[in-house]
Amino acid sequence: MSARRPRAAIRTAVALVLLALMLFPVYWMLNISLQPSGNTLSGTFFPTDPTLAGYRTAFQDQGRNLVTSLLVASGTVVVTLLVSTPCAYALAQFRFRWISWALLALLISQMIPGIVIANALYTLYERLGVLNSVPGLIVANAANAIPFGILILRSFMLGVPPSIVEAARVDGAGPIRSLVSVVVPISRNALITVGLFAFLFAWSDFIFALTLTTKGTVVPVTLGIYTYLGAHVDNWSAVMATAVLACIPAVILLVVAQKYIAAGATGGAVK
Amino acid sequence: MKKRLATLAALVTLTPLTLAACGDDSPPANATVDSLTLLDYYSDEPTNSLVQALVDKCGTAIGTKINRTAVPGPSLIQKVLQQASSKTLPDVLMLDNPDIQQIAATGALAPLGDYGIKTDGYAEGPVSAATYKGKLYGLQPAANTIGIFYNKDVLTKAGVTPPTTWDELKSTAKKLTTGDQYGFAFNATADFEGAWQFLPPMWTNGGDETKLKDPQVAEALALWKDLVDSGVSSKSVVTWGQGDVNDQFIAGKAAMMLNGPWNIPAIDKAKVNFGVVSFPVNKAGQTSTAPLGGEAWTVPQTGNKAKMSKAAEFVKCMNSDENQMQRAKDGGLVPTKLALADKFKTEVPSMAGFVDAVAHARARTGKLGEKWPDTAKVIYTGMQLVLTGQAAPADAMAKAGA
Amino acid sequence: MTKTTSPASARSTGRRGEEITKILFVVPAAVAIVVLFGYPVVKNLVMSFQDYTLATFFTGEAPWVGLQNFATVVGDALFTKALVNTALFTAGSIAGQFAIGLALALFFHRNFPLNRVVRALFLLPWLMPLIVGSAAWRAVLEQDSGILNVTLERLGIIDSPVPWLASSDVALVSVILVNIWLGIPFNLTLLYSGLQDIPEELYEAAALDGATGWRSFRYITWPNLREVVGIVLMLGVIYTLKVIDIILGLTHGGPANATETIATQSYERSFVEFKFGQGAALSNILIVISLAFAILYLRATRRRIDE
Repeated sequence: MSARRPRAAIRTAVALVLLALMLFPVYWMLNISLQPSGNTLSGTFFPTDPTLAGYRTAFQDQGRNLVTSLLVASGTVVVTLLVSTPCAYALAQFRFRWISWALLALLISQMIPGIVIANALYTLYERLGVLNSVPGLIVANAANAIPFGILILRSFMLGVPPSIVEAARVDGAGPIRSLVSVVVPISRNALITVGLFAFLFAWSDFIFALTLTTKGTVVPVTLGIYTYLGAHVDNWSAVMATAVLACIPAVILLVVAQKYIAAGATGGAVK
Repeated sequence: MKKRLATLAALVTLTPLTLAACGDDSPPANATVDSLTLLDYYSDEPTNSLVQALVDKCGTAIGTKINRTAVPGPSLIQKVLQQASSKTLPDVLMLDNPDIQQIAATGALAPLGDYGIKTDGYAEGPVSAATYKGKLYGLQPAANTIGIFYNKDVLTKAGVTPPTTWDELKSTAKKLTTGDQYGFAFNATADFEGAWQFLPPMWTNGGDETKLKDPQVAEALALWKDLVDSGVSSKSVVTWGQGDVNDQFIAGKAAMMLNGPWNIPAIDKAKVNFGVVSFPVNKAGQTSTAPLGGEAWTVPQTGNKAKMSKAAEFVKCMNSDENQMQRAKDGGLVPTKLALADKFKTEVPSMAGFVDAVAHARARTGKLGEKWPDTAKVIYTGMQLVLTGQAAPADAMAKAGA
Repeated sequence: MTKTTSPASARSTGRRGEEITKILFVVPAAVAIVVLFGYPVVKNLVMSFQDYTLATFFTGEAPWVGLQNFATVVGDALFTKALVNTALFTAGSIAGQFAIGLALALFFHRNFPLNRVVRALFLLPWLMPLIVGSAAWRAVLEQDSGILNVTLERLGIIDSPVPWLASSDVALVSVILVNIWLGIPFNLTLLYSGLQDIPEELYEAAALDGATGWRSFRYITWPNLREVVGIVLMLGVIYTLKVIDIILGLTHGGPANATETIATQSYERSFVEFKFGQGAALSNILIVISLAFAILYLRATRRRIDE
């Protein structure tokens, strides 16, 4: 047992080094956000003259936008999971003749450039009067994430042994019951992973935020950043400070979510 | 079940198309107008608030509420196209001057002459940019252009004066290239910004955008090439935007730069002692010519005659003497009315260099109109071919598709 | 199911009810996809056969030109280069992202302190708006003062600064490397979840038989991971073919078209030059390429299910 301790510690050390390499540009962003002039050209590893001016600006201006982004992203997660899960289950476990076509349609939907979808959505939203609304953005982002969700969840659900579902059916459960009581708990990892990505897609989305808002009443933070990026002049320290601030709530959610992607979700169920 | 789904889907997708066809109602031209919608790209601070103040002022002056929307710069045209196809164009539209003729060519804008707007006393550049097939479509209150910024302290220390000819530019820059510091920095990216920065050498040397294969253009390309090859300018100019160039200048990594007055607030904040001169000439007798920057106000064809004529009043108001001066002083720009520009020169001496440059500034769309973007692409491609050593100045433009 | 009527009819009613329920599982997703993707797909396809320009937005006229847009874009001098760049960019990105993502997923598969936190933080690059990411990378890759060159020179790995983004020869490599960086969190997270779903018992049983390390990977891990690997690679290819923001943010497609791909060309044709018909033609060519991969994937996954 004691031999494992140093090995685990070495792994942690290696993990931290890898993380440092991976996050170096993010660190650079932090570095720039603390520079007085927001000059992207600092050659120094550490800000020699740190200033919180960028943060002050970002905090004042973007607080509301952060909340908007959080609402849109959370809503997207809920809608995406609610719609994708049954569909993924159906495509994984049921024997429809048209499954390949459905999968093809899902894959094709992922091949369309985002800007083409956004432009088409603009006309539709404008007529329905749902521009400048948080629910509108949620629906757009969710619709974008749903095919992804279905494809990923299906791949995971294909790994659920049919015997488990059979066992439930023998006990008298209908399709809905099997899904909710048996498959969902087993697919916990996959659901959390898809939820995570749905959140990330919606959080970092810019194209829908830009296209589907016209008035400045609903401004996700990715759009809010443009308060500091003019046609000619850029205030990078405020931009970077906003990006850093925007990361914080999201990182907290990510760390919490990762806790639930534990091993052995399937193990024990067959018994 | 599936058939019903298909019908529903068809209905939903066709609805926007059919509704779009439903027409517009047009109240008579003398009806009272409560509000106008306005779209511009001044979404960043402090410009946003400053423009809002002027907009409110004119709104009050003409007795109409103005509902203003500001979007990020690069997305303005996209928004305009989306609004055009859903028939929701704003009543007043701001357009960057090189875009005016393209949009006017589609029939989307109303000729301002119909509303009694005249351009007497305006500098030539803004007028030619906004004129399509002989009619004026936009009125620009203030303009900017680019010139050579130099670090006064660095030049004095090296014992050199700001360059007035291309040879002087090269030799001065050479003397100023020491250690970390390059003598001269400019922007040469593969986009319209890079093309815009190439226009001063091209036009000053007598080159023309309609004849890109001529030797005068090749000489301008050779200048850019010499600056990089001789080491007075960084190879990274092909990646630097004008903002990056300014960062270099402020950080002391470039003694001189080609850039515009919008950088002055940042330069002042960094306490750099700077001076400005027009872009140098190649041979005696040439006039320094730089491209025209700045945005104009236009009146889209919305079909609502009353609103359109109110919008024209608004455009006139934004171009009044008082508002031109205000806009210029707020935004580091130069008024487009020549008399005002002279007055401005005395009131804001630090902008004197730019006032002269704007008076001679040339519109990018002056000769090519809506064909300018295609030519701009050829220009920046040719320029990059030369700077990356893939073509010689003499045949770069031909290789780029001229 | 209550059995009040005769067993046979009860069974058939029950089964029909079940069939409807099963279809209902799929309906919300189907509606969402048809409504939100149906119109753009069709419009994009139709647009590629029309002369769709700036004027069309205002006048609504878009004359039919048949295959002319396709002929124009394929005949363009830049097309071959863009195609080659697209192939290199996609192959390089996927190979890098997947290999590193898999290696990291396997690495994180063991328990050690801070495992969870580090894994969550690996997703941080996806939280940054791309405009911030490309600005940060441009600063890092700056030839003269960028921290990458400065570090490499100090470590003695290079003699003179590498023109990461300023040279036509190196720019594509730089862009691929940044895209790999961007793609690692996606691959890592999905592959890790896939690994976690493989029951511990399988490994324990194999260990009893003496299969550990490489053998346990080959006979336990890989077969059980195949579905997830399949979808990760498939989606990876589709998404990478579409990439424009990071390329345009880093190099604008330059220097001198060195980093132009079919996707960036499609964007530029439509939104910079306003030749929407040609832009649509290019994006449809890209979709056809994606489709080829999609069909390969579907064949493979169907074969696996039938097994």
